[in-house]
Amino acid sequence: MTLMSDQKSLPAIGFLTITRDAEHGLFGGYLVLNALGRPLEFHCTAPVRPSRAQEILYGPTLEPYLYGERIGPTLLEKSRCVPLAVFTDVEPAMAARPFVSTPLLLVLTAERSTGLSGQAELACGVHGGQSLRAASGGTMTDRRADAAHPPRRGHGSVWESFALGGYSVACAATHPQDGQAVRGSWSQFADQIDLDEPFGRIRDAIDEARNSAR
Amino acid sequence: MPVAPHDPSDDQAIGGAASPHAAPAAIPAFSLDLSWDVRCFATGWITALQRDTKVSVTSWPIDAAAPRAVSVRISRAPVMVRSYTFPELPGWNQQGPAQGVPPGTGGSSASRAGGGLSGSPSTGSALAPVVGVGARPAEPVHSTRLQPPRDIVKLRDRLYYVLQPPLETLVSASQLRFPFQPFPYQYQGVAFLYPRYAAILADEMGLGKTMQAITAARLLLRSGEIRSALLICPKPLVSNWKRELALWAPELPVAVIEGDQSRRRWQWQQMHTPLKIANYELLLRDADVFRGKQLHFDLVMLDEAQRIKNRSSTTSQVVRSISRTRSWALTGTPIENSQEDLVAIFDFLMPGYLNSSMRARRIGRAASDYVLRRTKDLVLTDLPPKLYRDAELDLTSEQWEAYRTAEEQGVVHLSDLGEALTIQHVFELVLRLKQICNFDPATGISSKLERLEADLEEVVASGKKAIVFSQLVKSLEVIRQRFERFRPLEYHGKIPSGKRDAIIEQFRDDRSRHVLLMSYGAGSVGLNLQFCGYVFLFDRWWNPAVEDQAINRAHRIGASGPVTVTRMLTLGTIEERIHQVLEEKRQLFHAVFSETECPTNLGLTQQDIFGLFNLQVPAAARRAA
Repeated sequence: MTLMSDQKSLPAIGFLTITRDAEHGLFGGYLVLNALGRPLEFHCTAPVRPSRAQEILYGPTLEPYLYGERIGPTLLEKSRCVPLAVFTDVEPAMAARPFVSTPLLLVLTAERSTGLSGQAELACGVHGGQSLRAASGGTMTDRRADAAHPPRRGHGSVWESFALGGYSVACAATHPQDGQAVRGSWSQFADQIDLDEPFGRIRDAIDEARNSAR
Repeated sequence: MPVAPHDPSDDQAIGGAASPHAAPAAIPAFSLDLSWDVRCFATGWITALQRDTKVSVTSWPIDAAAPRAVSVRISRAPVMVRSYTFPELPGWNQQGPAQGVPPGTGGSSASRAGGGLSGSPSTGSALAPVVGVGARPAEPVHSTRLQPPRDIVKLRDRLYYVLQPPLETLVSASQLRFPFQPFPYQYQGVAFLYPRYAAILADEMGLGKTMQAITAARLLLRSGEIRSALLICPKPLVSNWKRELALWAPELPVAVIEGDQSRRRWQWQQMHTPLKIANYELLLRDADVFRGKQLHFDLVMLDEAQRIKNRSSTTSQVVRSISRTRSWALTGTPIENSQEDLVAIFDFLMPGYLNSSMRARRIGRAASDYVLRRTKDLVLTDLPPKLYRDAELDLTSEQWEAYRTAEEQGVVHLSDLGEALTIQHVFELVLRLKQICNFDPATGISSKLERLEADLEEVVASGKKAIVFSQLVKSLEVIRQRFERFRPLEYHGKIPSGKRDAIIEQFRDDRSRHVLLMSYGAGSVGLNLQFCGYVFLFDRWWNPAVEDQAINRAHRIGASGPVTVTRMLTLGTIEERIHQVLEEKRQLFHAVFSETECPTNLGLTQQDIFGLFNLQVPAAARRAA
């Protein structure tokens, strides 16, 4: 593994997201782009569906477990290049940070970052994020970060938000070096990288892969 | 002394405790004789009392199941992952020329991309410096994503396109500049062409097909996905393409195939120039170059692709013989006469994919993923309107007399020909009658000319510019002679091609030149005359598509105001009959591209042409057809 995407001079940036399908379960997607936004690698998971026992026993820790311990690290491990940073738009995926060596940052959209002026303390995991489908009894929900429903303190992991280019991003307070590392190397990309758009590409690609499997 | 046996009931009576609530009774006194007879005998009880007490234990088992533990196994089955890698094409990492307008920076409609003459390339240089499209913009920008065509089956190939950044980002990241800000629909056109190996861009004239094709080819060349491209266009349009390429892809080396045979042969073999331009006429002379498939192009673009609508023509055969990977066709009129035209173009794109026996609706469905057609009404809501005026005129008495005579004599002549009658004879009569509809041959009197004169006076007085189209060069020459006071310019087949560009420039730049007389054949395609406010169709062409092309020389992107189109038609004449046929052709076009059912062929068939004079098609002519 190299710091650069490959032999070329352009660094790579990773984007991780997880989508939920009511019928099949969770699909994880990890896209590695070069600094010009062109795709270098794409990895996606087969559907991951927790058993009923997992839903009961993991309870509120189910999503951090699935997103952060199972799907996220598995996808990142498949990548052949080490990006400068990995961005995600789903809060529970931040639970993957202890299992990966790459800086992992949560992208907060304008509305997601409402109330996150300066440094905010955000709970990592189950209480944050807007549920597109209401959580009940440990069932999974869409966990795209959204500060319209501000996360509460959860399991001890708190996040620090800061501005990166035109975006608000957050890193785990347990890994404050992530923010420093990314900020240090980001100046050359600040105006070039769209931190929100690639997630749409991943979702489209997951849909494409699912359709092709039918 | 006898002792009475003890009666327990007496105790109770003595105790008086029969009822705890009874009042204590007086104890009665009586005498008792204790002289009882006592006899002793051994019972053994005393001994027994001295022995230790024996304790015996009896156990009964309690029948209860022992608690059982149930283990729930939480599986950690591995998460299955599918991985795809894509090549990082070094061409994208190169910086483009720093001129023009970066995409995504907005731009007024006045500076939007059009046909190419709507502004100066330097217009954009004063605009803001490049801002990466990827950055969060101050103003919302359109995001145009590439979509894989249906005929790409492999998931990896499909994902390659799905995962590409929006077109605006691609362009911006590569530092490609545009002289004008493209319209969103033009980005969509580029996104349509880019991933396709077979495509027809069939936008209505004036929507910028040239720009879209150039940009798509430019992106493919920059990305390294293609290395060689060939553009084939009509000869009069070569200079227009050169101009447009210089505008939209200034960094792209272009070679125009021209000169004598040896020079051309040498040019064909030069593969270091990524884009070659050849004209159809020249292609026929160099047909042998393509034999053997040694000369291969990654992309072949056909401009005015209706030129190959006749599959048996040499032009079509030569074009189809070119070895190529991608095939694009540009035409505003994929159907001119019948659906056979579209089938012929598809024979170039995907041989055998369509055939003539298919119904219009089925052809429409099959072609839908390969054809992109937009009309101005659909995409250019801010384009000035196109106003039609149908000038339905009566012939002057002199014209009527000449017309009736010519028609009667002509029809008699055609009837007399019998089996020797050919379609050429009919065409000659049509032409003769159309000439009379324009002018009386003896006196030169013309109802059309009178009307045109009045209109042109108004045009000139208002300082506007007008184009007058005619099928007949001779008619244009008559008009020029009659309207010398307007100092009209001419652009038709008798004008040498080397002088034509200068005429267009003079018409555009010289404020004293208000009228351009133009033939359909020479001026209906490829020219950008959006500074004209008036178009006159002095007579009608055989095909509505050609008329539309002519009209859209003026009504296109960059038009500063409404374009008024005056269609001249003499009532009760051959012109009116032809007009009815043209309307039917419009219906056919609509049938294929709106998936509505319609008869399969409404073109000007042999029978239609003979039918203009109520003639039956002779057997010999039928056999020849």
